[in-house]
Amino acid sequence: MQTLKSNFSTSIWAIFRKDLLCEFRSSYSIATLIMFALTALSSVSMTNPGVALSPDFAASLLWVVLFFCAMAGLSRVFVNEQESGTLIGLRMYASGQAVFIGKFLFNLLLLLFLSCFVIPLFVLFFNIDINDWLAFIKILILGCTGIAAVSTLMAAIVIYTHGKQAIFTVITFPILLPQFLCAVNSTVKVFSGLAPEGLLFMFGYNLAVLAAGLLLFDYIWHD
Amino acid sequence: MKIVLANISKRFGSRLLFENINIELHSGQCLAITGDNGTGKSTLLKIISGLTRPATGSIAIHYNNLSNINNRPKFGLVSPDMAMYKALTAIENITFWSKLLGLSITESQAKELCGTVGLAGSEYKQLSTYSTGMFQRLKLATIMAVNPLVWLLDEPSSNLDESGKQIVKDVINRAVNSNSAVFLATNEAKEAEYANFKIKL
Repeated sequence: MQTLKSNFSTSIWAIFRKDLLCEFRSSYSIATLIMFALTALSSVSMTNPGVALSPDFAASLLWVVLFFCAMAGLSRVFVNEQESGTLIGLRMYASGQAVFIGKFLFNLLLLLFLSCFVIPLFVLFFNIDINDWLAFIKILILGCTGIAAVSTLMAAIVIYTHGKQAIFTVITFPILLPQFLCAVNSTVKVFSGLAPEGLLFMFGYNLAVLAAGLLLFDYIWHD
Repeated sequence: MKIVLANISKRFGSRLLFENINIELHSGQCLAITGDNGTGKSTLLKIISGLTRPATGSIAIHYNNLSNINNRPKFGLVSPDMAMYKALTAIENITFWSKLLGLSITESQAKELCGTVGLAGSEYKQLSTYSTGMFQRLKLATIMAVNPLVWLLDEPSSNLDESGKQIVKDVINRAVNSNSAVFLATNEAKEAEYANFKIKL
């Protein structure tokens, strides 16, 4: 009836596809993310009507919105599994690394989808002039990758704690701070019409977090 | 193949749950683990599966012929603690859990398994519409799809009607006939009769 294939990539794809299917049918995480982003952007826009934001403030606002959207929604990838009782099956049948990569890819897709929603609104609400879109997209992808990687790792750590959401945000922020500051500074440059800096650092940071996740996730997953 | 549990004990804080459990179970055999509530039947199954660490002791699987086990995962679990994805259909659940292990289960095979456990006609419905008994039947279908070397059945008849209990008996027979070792944790004396051996915790 069955054949056992090399199952690492199959497991990653199965977890990613399952999360996507569940999210598509429930829309829980994406609705949370979008509502948070919409509320944050519209409240800033309405309280400062017609005010042109400085590049520094605009870049900070963009990344603060993306960061807090991530804090509001990305921990659900593991919290949902734990609350619904499916975590035990995942621990039983999947390797920690496959779960980490599958969940990371799902979180990254959510954040990139959210960015596609936030950026047009951001440009529209605050009249931001972006000359170098390619550099801006690179910063977004690198920044979102860092947020997704750290969030996935931290979400797995907090699943058995009380006050998951608060602890998740508190422990994620300091670890994400170097990437966050670099993303803000690079975005300031792009909004000012200058060449971005720090992309290599962001790339290296993402590689380091993903490598640490792959190496350490089994300890988080099985203990 | 045989699975050997040597000197297994477990404690939660200062409370000793059980100690010095020694079991040797061969493929094609079924062991019933009985005992009152809270004696550690489910915990022992979780220790065997690797989900929980024992305080002392070790678990080893010895293979006679490696060519027979290349296409089968080691452990499969049916447990009241293990849920299925309510946003997915029965077929999607079966194929998901199988794919996690790298098994290629086709839709028609998953559908056939749903029929075997009495879920024919409900296999394309999302699990949010299922009763607890239907969930239990789906768990049995899933472990049949996975067909592990060691089946860990924790209260497999819970929430099942008489026809469901007959299915549990068939599932155990199927496991034994496919040369698997079966650990059956149960409170039901009739269910324990399906096993070759019994231990009481």
